[in-house]
Amino acid sequence: MNRLVVRLVPSLAALAGAFMVSAVIVAASGNSPGTAFTALLSGAFGSADSLSEVAVKTCPLLLTGLAIAVSFQAGVWNIGAEGQLLMGALAVATFGVRAVHLPGWLGLGGALVLAAVAGGAWAGIAAQLKLRRNVNEVISTIMLNFIALGLISYLVQGPLMEAGGRYPQTDAIASALWMPRLAPYRIHLGVVIALLAAAGLHVLLYRTVAGYEMRASGLNPDAARLAGIRVHRRLWLALMLSGALAGMAGGIEVSAVTRRLYERFSPGWGFTAIAVGLLGRLSPTGVVIAAFFFGALDAGSNAMQRAAGVSSVLVSIIQATVILFLVAFERGRWLPEPHP
Amino acid sequence: MTVPLLSLRGVSKRFGPVQALSGVDLDFNAGEIHAILGENGAGKSTLMYVLDGVQRPDTGIILMNGSAVAFASPRVARRAGIGMVHQHFTLIEALTVAENLALSLPQPPRWRFDATVTAAQAQALARRIGLELAPPEAPVSGLPVGARQRLEILKALAGAGRVLILDEPTAVLTPQEARHLFAMLRQLRAEGRLVIFITHKLREVKEVADRVTIMRRGGVIGSYAVGAISEREMAEHMVGEVVPAPARVGQRDHERPAALDVSGLSARGARGIDGLRGVSFSVRAGEIFGIAGVDGNGQRELFEVLVGLRRPSCGTVHVGGRPLTAFTPRAALAAGIGHIPPDRHHEGLVLSMTIEENLLLHRGILDRLSWHGLLRRAAARRFAADLARQYAIQSASLDAPARSLSGGNQQRVIVARELAERPAVLVTVNPTRGLDVAAARAVADAVIDVTCQGCAVVLISTDLDEVLDLSASVSVLSRGRLSTPLTTPIDAERLGLLMAGAAESS
Repeated sequence: MNRLVVRLVPSLAALAGAFMVSAVIVAASGNSPGTAFTALLSGAFGSADSLSEVAVKTCPLLLTGLAIAVSFQAGVWNIGAEGQLLMGALAVATFGVRAVHLPGWLGLGGALVLAAVAGGAWAGIAAQLKLRRNVNEVISTIMLNFIALGLISYLVQGPLMEAGGRYPQTDAIASALWMPRLAPYRIHLGVVIALLAAAGLHVLLYRTVAGYEMRASGLNPDAARLAGIRVHRRLWLALMLSGALAGMAGGIEVSAVTRRLYERFSPGWGFTAIAVGLLGRLSPTGVVIAAFFFGALDAGSNAMQRAAGVSSVLVSIIQATVILFLVAFERGRWLPEPHP
Repeated sequence: MTVPLLSLRGVSKRFGPVQALSGVDLDFNAGEIHAILGENGAGKSTLMYVLDGVQRPDTGIILMNGSAVAFASPRVARRAGIGMVHQHFTLIEALTVAENLALSLPQPPRWRFDATVTAAQAQALARRIGLELAPPEAPVSGLPVGARQRLEILKALAGAGRVLILDEPTAVLTPQEARHLFAMLRQLRAEGRLVIFITHKLREVKEVADRVTIMRRGGVIGSYAVGAISEREMAEHMVGEVVPAPARVGQRDHERPAALDVSGLSARGARGIDGLRGVSFSVRAGEIFGIAGVDGNGQRELFEVLVGLRRPSCGTVHVGGRPLTAFTPRAALAAGIGHIPPDRHHEGLVLSMTIEENLLLHRGILDRLSWHGLLRRAAARRFAADLARQYAIQSASLDAPARSLSGGNQQRVIVARELAERPAVLVTVNPTRGLDVAAARAVADAVIDVTCQGCAVVLISTDLDEVLDLSASVSVLSRGRLSTPLTTPIDAERLGLLMAGAAESS
């Protein structure tokens, strides 16, 4: 536990720096930083309802943050969580309008498995390109994001457009596939699934041989190979897991919150996830904390805008500044070890 | 008495515990080809880096035409007329010949870049010194090695180059290209330039140099007119007075079967030239077989083939009578070939992982300490603690990153781990290089212990003392070929000649 505290010092310092910068910006725009931050805080934690909203906002960030953590730890720079998330959402939306007659648990379980498979398959394209053709995964995953965005844009305006044909969106999924909620709040079972995924990833990375091999391959592939580790298999596994987690994030969001798929479905979770992953120092525990923090900022931002008249965009500034500070403090120390 | 073009006075340079140069006094004259001869680690490269402004000396001064100069960077040195051709080329592959030349000008164009002007200048210079330059508009990526080197030389001479430093220039060249290079160097000498030429090949010194300075362990042994010194004398100066200690491991025991049998092994080299050419040897259980030689003569390739990083083009490797069929590190480990790699940081450890985790970094250990893919943490901790105690690994905690350990303790981690799996064969490259005395002795003792327990050890080393101290028999690897083994008592002088590549001429 002590080690975790030490490892979180740069993250905490980055947070402090980001809030100071934001305070200056708020003051410069003629508002009171105190009022703004108080409103932000009460917007996030002021009531049971707002806490439920924090959990709802945390869920996709947590799953995609874990996706970033597992791939980055294995030295695979998956920038494509956004695309993988969209493919997971697409899988559930497509499956969901047709799976009316399935019993609930089977339909929901099947939908989540499909979401994971779709995200993993989308990442699998980048994995195959990397392992067979030595294509840099940063490039391929970014490009696959654009393809996923374009594909969904086409589908929701064309083949998958709702029966009424008014908006570019799919029909609502069958109610059997709706993620159970804790009424009257919006908090849903997906949050528990995301936390279980974090626990599972922790076990995988730190308690299993496969996880050990992934981390060793990520930090020093040459030493790992010489130790008899099949580095390529580990990279492949990490990227597929990463895609599956991101796909789950999209699938759960459709099943639990939006109930359908439309253009601009994701506000960029897959990209914010990189910030979440880095802020959480790529450890599952850290990612839980970081995702919760980002979720709270998102949930509180609207209340802040209403109560203090400060644009909710301030939250994006805080999130971005945190990462800039963190990167500056760390000098890219989470990157693989430099070779002399 | 003319003033030397370039002089060093009392130049010393230290890297951590290693004294790379100690009090070097040296004169270089205009219009001479001056060879610097020495084993690996003798300080040749550091000396050249000091002259080229890459490294700054801790103490001492550099004089040019009798007045003191200080080079803060290679660019400053270039302005003073000193250019260097590194062993590993510094060309930008995606750019053309002319563009590469423009980049290396003492005053590179700041705004507008006109490659035709550079090209014209370059070709004028090339014509004058009889250097055959590739077409200026050709991209460097398509040039053969010889052409690249000529471009490097031209880069180094661009502007008003008076001093040309070449770091082992023939290492990458075919014999024809090397002859061409020597002709060019003579032309430069005729124009009154100074050529400094680093090598460890005696024959090249004899062929092209006027004077030779021999270095050993960071110091200058002496400077000699090449005509007044024989190859044999040079080899002796280079290797030093090695007193072969009685090997600590017994004589070859012909009763025991060969644990490792290597036959007719050839492999392509790292730089595309021949790495290994028909290497055969066998090592019995309980024997240390030393492979001496100067770096870059196939040492790296031999290591890579034996541990499964490189597939041989022909030849076989048998371990305990069974042939090695797949050349992957995994297969080599499974066959019982353990290794202590030459580069601790790069290949032996994951520096950011903990000491405990690094002690597990071996396929066999991970298998042993896991249950259906789950790490048995208590067993792993016990295993690591036992090894740390047994090998006296000094650290605050096993949870500290391997990065925090001293070099000696890092090497102990690797040795402990590799020997814990009781390999049938241990391949080790320069195992005590860069270690303090205590750690070096601990590593050597561990290697001897495992040998006495029946391991067959292949000791590939560029440190002659290390080889002679540990091995019962020694072969020399030179230009990818392995000499017949010398057995104890070993004739150090003959060994030195073999290492310097004089085998064919003697």
